[in-house]
Amino acid sequence: MSFNVKQEDGFWRGEFQSMASPCELLIETDEESLAYSLTKLAFEEASRIEQKFSRYRQDNIIYKINTSHGKKISVDEETALLLDYADQCFHMSDGFFDVTSGVLREAWKFDCSDNVPGRNKVKAILPRVGWQKVSWNKPNFSMPEGMEIDLGGIGKEYAVDRTAMLTRAHTDNSVLINYGGDLYATKAKNDGNGWLIGIEKPNLKSNQVKNKNKQRKSVKEFQLKQGGIATSGDVYRYLLKDGIRYSHILDPHTGWPIKDAPHSITVVAESCIEAGILATLGMLNGKSAKRFLKAQDIKFWIN
Amino acid sequence: MQLKKSKSVRKMLAVATTSLLTGVAHSANSGAADNDWEMDSSVLYYSEADRVTVIEPVVSLRKDMGDEHFLNLRFVLDSLTGASANGAIKTGSAQTFTTPSGNSTYTTAANQTPLDPTFHDTRVAINAEWEMPLNKTTKAIFGANISKEFDYQSLGVSANFSWDFNNRNTTLTAGAAINADSINPVGGVPTGLTPMSASKATTGADDSKTVTDLLIGVTQVINRTTLMQLNLNIGSDSGYMTDPYKILTVLGGAPDTYLYENRPDSRARQALYWKTVMGFDEDVLNLSYRYYWDDWDVSSHTIEAKYRFSLGEKHYLQPEVRYYVQDKANFYHYNLVDGAIPTYASADYRLADLKTTTLAFKYGIDLDKDSELAVRIGQMNQTSNGDAPFEDVDATFVQLNYRMTF
Repeated sequence: MSFNVKQEDGFWRGEFQSMASPCELLIETDEESLAYSLTKLAFEEASRIEQKFSRYRQDNIIYKINTSHGKKISVDEETALLLDYADQCFHMSDGFFDVTSGVLREAWKFDCSDNVPGRNKVKAILPRVGWQKVSWNKPNFSMPEGMEIDLGGIGKEYAVDRTAMLTRAHTDNSVLINYGGDLYATKAKNDGNGWLIGIEKPNLKSNQVKNKNKQRKSVKEFQLKQGGIATSGDVYRYLLKDGIRYSHILDPHTGWPIKDAPHSITVVAESCIEAGILATLGMLNGKSAKRFLKAQDIKFWIN
Repeated sequence: MQLKKSKSVRKMLAVATTSLLTGVAHSANSGAADNDWEMDSSVLYYSEADRVTVIEPVVSLRKDMGDEHFLNLRFVLDSLTGASANGAIKTGSAQTFTTPSGNSTYTTAANQTPLDPTFHDTRVAINAEWEMPLNKTTKAIFGANISKEFDYQSLGVSANFSWDFNNRNTTLTAGAAINADSINPVGGVPTGLTPMSASKATTGADDSKTVTDLLIGVTQVINRTTLMQLNLNIGSDSGYMTDPYKILTVLGGAPDTYLYENRPDSRARQALYWKTVMGFDEDVLNLSYRYYWDDWDVSSHTIEAKYRFSLGEKHYLQPEVRYYVQDKANFYHYNLVDGAIPTYASADYRLADLKTTTLAFKYGIDLDKDSELAVRIGQMNQTSNGDAPFEDVDATFVQLNYRMTF
């Protein structure tokens, strides 16, 4: 795995693949050397975070925690900060944002089919869900056997913000970071404008979704000078049965999808991770998503 | 989902995100592995024009003992030399005073503020603290301290508790401390308001006092760049609080009559302290105000402002200004008058109507990821703010500070 850079009209583009997503940096510069060093920095940071926090690996702290069988695990400072963050998000969302809810995937496979699980199957998993059941006393973490944590819900956004911090320490030039649709712009460009971001309006007819690349079209353009943008959505991840569309946003209290959630929410915030959490919380608010987001006094789009 | 606190989520999230991102940046930069020692050391040189000079080295050590337990140790050595105002007023003729031991005398020229030149002392102080979590959101700090100078000893213990809530945006603090001090002045403890002489009247060889303090405070994260703190301190002192070396001039009777000062044996103190720290990109503003009052009728206001300018990644410059204004104690007298000697009296200018202005600059530099060097240079002026015509005290100080992890 590696990265590459290429010059475009007025900026350099650095590209690589990480966290199962296409990642890119747009760097306002004429210098290839700056583009190269920033992209290298970004690639290494994204890879580091993926290696350290991906739940698909067997050599990291998440694996160690998830296979701890109820034993106490001592975690490093960065993991501790992320667990603190998960703890605070859990409490401020009244338990709706829960990094232990990943085990519900054993029942739910959101593959656009009609494969809705039975009530008992979901019910059987629920005892293994709930952040309130873990014991987190920095630096020691433990949780009952069978529970798992998954920081995937904030990992990509966290990587964007971390990359932004490293980038800022490295250059005063404007840089746009885009990791699979989660974005951050470090500052306005030299002409005072922001980076032009297209906010997609998904086309939701199922037969067209299959041809999704063709159907994607930007309906809103937004100038991002400084800050983060993230999207939470279920456009390509849902179940459809008996005319009911099941969103992939699950309520950790019931183990069932949130009713009447929008298809996607895009939020602009001071950091990418805040944008991501607010978008997710918007989804978790179901049909009151709009009211919730309005109360936050932020820029957002609901589809 | 109906978020109960839907309105405040964004604010709480902003604060949480700041600690997440800055915390990571911090640990990535400092590279400090667990269980390191942190050392903070400084040397202060403080010099009053024609009066006291203080050299004070301080070493603070902090050791992470794991599981959020910390051991804090602090060593202070104070070395004091020079002359200190003895309390008598300057007069048109030369004045002769007996030293506290009664073995010798010193003379002050006409029109000079009488200073006791025998003033010198060395103080050693050690403070130890044990910091431990009680549970996820509360922590306790237990401390003990001892200090010793040739005529003074102090022993103390303290306990402080803090409780984080409101997603750790609010911290409540409560603490108590008690100190038992004893003094054994050179030549014994003079009987208050009796004449200064080689064969002075004493109440004994030593005396003692007890100092008790209670503190409650709240610290609130206002937003991602602002933090506010409010503390209330209630103190009670009882015992011997007189300065056994200070005297007052008595006018209107026999010439050159001096009486040893005498202060009440109890004092009830209160102080209200407010502080705000605000971040502006790389810069930091520190503003504080303190109001103090006690039943000696001393009251004071202290206003302090510091602004830390970041000069690139590794340097900073911090101008500091402090203004202090005080209303005198009800037993403060510039001098006494024969035939009207009160029960309590002191001519210690530190109990007078006074104001103090301090200006300082601090320059700091990160030497490498684990150490920082700073130098602080300042000037202080203390002046009468009332009728008492005592002389200004001007002082210059230089402080060198070195911080490292090892």
